[in-house]
Amino acid sequence: MQNGSEKSRLLLIDDDRELGDMLRDFLAPDNIQLQPCVSGEEGLAEHGRLGFDLIILDIMLPGMSGLDVLRKLREKSSVPVIMLTARGDDVDRIIGLEFGADDYLAKPFNPRELLARIKAILRRTHFTPENNGEHVFGSIAMNGSARTVFVNGNPLPLTGTEFELLRCLLETPGVVVSKERLSEQALGRRLLPYDRSIDTHISNLRGKLEKSGSGKESIQNQRGVGYVLTPNARRKTGPS
Amino acid sequence: MRSLLIRFFLSFWLIIGITIGAAAMGGYWYAQNVRDAYESFELGDSILDASAALESAGRDGLAIWLKNFPETRGLKILVLDRSGRDLLGRPIPKILLHQLDRRRHLMPPDGRRRNDPANLMRARPLSQLVGPDGRRYTIVVIPARGGPPARGLILALALLVSASVSILLARTMSRPVQKLRDATRALANGNFDNRVASSIGRRRDELGLLARDFDIMADNLQRSASQQIELSRNISHELRSPLARLRVALALARRKAGDLAEFNRIDEETERLDALIEQILSYTRLDSPAEHPKHLANLNDVIADVVADVNYECRSDGADTKSVVAEFSASIDLPMHVQSMKSAIENILRNAVRHTRSDTRVLVRLAYATRDQVNIVVDDCGAGVDEEHLPKLFEPFFRSRPSSEKEAGSGLGLAIARRAVEIHDGSISASNRVDGGLRITIELPV
Repeated sequence: MQNGSEKSRLLLIDDDRELGDMLRDFLAPDNIQLQPCVSGEEGLAEHGRLGFDLIILDIMLPGMSGLDVLRKLREKSSVPVIMLTARGDDVDRIIGLEFGADDYLAKPFNPRELLARIKAILRRTHFTPENNGEHVFGSIAMNGSARTVFVNGNPLPLTGTEFELLRCLLETPGVVVSKERLSEQALGRRLLPYDRSIDTHISNLRGKLEKSGSGKESIQNQRGVGYVLTPNARRKTGPS
Repeated sequence: MRSLLIRFFLSFWLIIGITIGAAAMGGYWYAQNVRDAYESFELGDSILDASAALESAGRDGLAIWLKNFPETRGLKILVLDRSGRDLLGRPIPKILLHQLDRRRHLMPPDGRRRNDPANLMRARPLSQLVGPDGRRYTIVVIPARGGPPARGLILALALLVSASVSILLARTMSRPVQKLRDATRALANGNFDNRVASSIGRRRDELGLLARDFDIMADNLQRSASQQIELSRNISHELRSPLARLRVALALARRKAGDLAEFNRIDEETERLDALIEQILSYTRLDSPAEHPKHLANLNDVIADVVADVNYECRSDGADTKSVVAEFSASIDLPMHVQSMKSAIENILRNAVRHTRSDTRVLVRLAYATRDQVNIVVDDCGAGVDEEHLPKLFEPFFRSRPSSEKEAGSGLGLAIARRAVEIHDGSISASNRVDGGLRITIELPV
């Protein structure tokens, strides 16, 4: 998928230096240049100085925690972030996604899985899909090529993943989109069992839409099926 | 009071002392009363009636007079004939008989020894009458027999005093003991937050010391429990780093050496270790109920979510022929920690799916068992479990039979389920179904 000449530049923030070195070697043949760094402060400084295409961030860092790094990062940058979380720690995972991470991977991860996720996110940011037209639904207006969303004429800042999710739902308003499809379209990967990332992203997106005052339009959950954008704001179920 | 020993000693001493004192004083008071009555008793004008009765009807007339003589408290009037017999045939106290034997006539009590209770038993002659036949009759007064009537009063007083002191004593004991007992129970249930020293006041006796020792013990237990949890978390976290490096190293090796069957094996085993660490982490995390705040949520939704996930997992694992079906006979809202409730149901369902035969379904049902209890019942169509193994099913790392590596879980799934259910004050049990397969029942209070 990558252009032969164009290298993607990634930043890894993880206190395990050896892991960083090995990952750099592992990713190099796929035209991905990984720069490891071992602390949140250093990572933020490096990103401010060089600007990376994607950041891989370990949630458990000594000193400044991964979540703090993420929050700091999101204050000024919408760079895609993949979080590395602890096994079985759903709280970190959900908070991470709520803080604006694009995807997560439980550590220790399968490196091939990491590569697949990196590629999926890079693909999404490097190549805008063909159907990048305009979508208007009630008070929501999306410009696919400019990657902007307006609610009642006011710009709505969204992360890349939230943008893709909204695009998916806007393409077929009133029709239920399965979680599998949302995962493939917005995250660029297959839905995994017990994978709550779509639900978390959707709930973030829903929150942002509601806060921005998008009148009656709302995203509803069809249990066990998927999500649907409807013109009436009646929320059927609680948080899922 | 400083020590229980002193408290008990003084209390019992007080009870016994008061009882003895009351008895002695009561006895003295009674004796004084009776003696006064005895000494001051006079026949007065009745002697004329007696004399007249004797005059007109002889011995029998005197007997009738005596019979009709009004009762006098604590005293008895006797009329003795010459042979020393009472006219009414009443028994004569032995000591009085001695008196009669010795002296053949009656003397007033010895004035110098008034206080000797024995003197009280002496008869005091009141008068002598001579009948028409010349026979002499002596009218005497003696104290009535049968002991002091105040004995009941003394007994009641003793009971009252001893009961009230005992109740006071028992209360100072039982209250702090009850508090200690409650705290001990809470501690046994894994609630390390209870302290008693502050709640039983500033006692300096053994109970106060016991309460402070209890608190120290609770502190230590709490510390060691949290250290243990911290330790297992740290172990799990520290295992992550080498495992993560191992996996990347393996991927690099694969690239250099090509795909070897052994690499796949290493991959599999690493993943297994991974899953195990995840399970240990969730298991230890469930040890601290305080970390699991509860909110009202719909149990049906929670179950439906997990069922959808497990079915999705079946499809993506290629176990297409197995599935989970949910049946709800009520909609139930409960305060719960959704994450751990989900993990309880998820672990039970995954276990059921693992063991149910191909082309069968796992059935999960939610229903009210009683008005204040709901049951979640999960039935599979597997081989079931040997009866003697049923109670052990929820112990960590227990395996009912040496299962093939492929189908084995981590060995913690059902243990996690039990802890998660216990966080919700519920219980979990397993039984074999009549028509084959295992049934797991979660009982939750509503």
